[in-house]
Amino acid sequence: MATGPYNYSYIFKYIIIGDMGVGKSCLLHQFTEKKFMADCPHTIGVEFGTRIIEVAGQKIKLQIWDTAGQERFRAVTRSYYRGAAGALMVYDITRRSTYNHLSSWLTDARNLTNPNTVIFLIGNKSDLEAQRDVTYEEAKQFAEENGLMFLECSAKTGENVEDAFLDTAKKIFQNIQDGSLDLNAAESGVQHKPTSPRNALNTDQAQNKEGCGC
Amino acid sequence: METIVQEVVPIEELKKFEKVYQEQLQRAEPSVKAQFDYSWCLVRSPYKRDLHQGIALLEDLYHKTTDDNLKRDYLFYLSVGNTRLKDYNKALKYAKALLTIEPGNHQAQELVAYIDKKMKKEGLVGMAIVGGAAALAIGGIVSLGVALARK
Repeated sequence: MATGPYNYSYIFKYIIIGDMGVGKSCLLHQFTEKKFMADCPHTIGVEFGTRIIEVAGQKIKLQIWDTAGQERFRAVTRSYYRGAAGALMVYDITRRSTYNHLSSWLTDARNLTNPNTVIFLIGNKSDLEAQRDVTYEEAKQFAEENGLMFLECSAKTGENVEDAFLDTAKKIFQNIQDGSLDLNAAESGVQHKPTSPRNALNTDQAQNKEGCGC
Repeated sequence: METIVQEVVPIEELKKFEKVYQEQLQRAEPSVKAQFDYSWCLVRSPYKRDLHQGIALLEDLYHKTTDDNLKRDYLFYLSVGNTRLKDYNKALKYAKALLTIEPGNHQAQELVAYIDKKMKKEGLVGMAIVGGAAALAIGGIVSLGVALARK
């Protein structure tokens, strides 16, 4: 009951994009549920997940839209890009074709989001080293050439999954702090939730409790 | 699942896909893609008329295909559309049909759970209203009887 109307200060909207079968929904599931979803069927349309994280002492609610990778959904899923503060663009390190299609996904992401949207490139399935079809170095170079953040992750083992979501949030938060992301601009993908007096009161009480040492 | 079921389509998106569909309809039979894109927007509309139209278009697509992958998509959005119309029995039927095609589909499982929850919640409210009306009716009959007996 220690939460007021909002127990977070910001909402960041994310989208997850990339070819079908690269593991977008599994990454979302690993991040929100801390579990690996085996035998995950192809997503119908879009899925949605949330999680509250903390960046620089601020609670941030991530609202994550996970889009279906199959071509037949692509026209309509494009409308979900609007107003995203972060875009996670995923390929599968064991399937070169999913890497080759990145420029098309990147074009969509750039055209349909705002210039401040943080785009994070994820090479998923890093646990399948023996089947690797895309080297770390070339993906890293692609990311650098296009000004993207980059990590290889494994939705199966959980390796680097937290970092990809958190680093994106840190970058967005940094953009807010240095003024390059205008919160008042339409479609910034960020909502600020001012702490309500009730919430502030509860926070004080919580601190008092901590302070009494009992 | 709440967010997915209650999400509202941006009006300009609905208009964009409506235009493509209508243009194709003028010339010949619209493509499966145009019909699906448009119906997916319609079932996310806030207007009942659009929801009904989206459901009709999805039913048409469903009957015209033998591809289970496509049927799965249509069943999901048929269920979403009917949930929005509060026609929970139909919504449940479609979501469960999806689960017979793909038993492990977690989106369908979550949808079934969501519809069940809505049915329980709104069913109880409905029963309370019906119960209240029945009490009023019985009260009416009793007072009628009393009035007649006095005559």
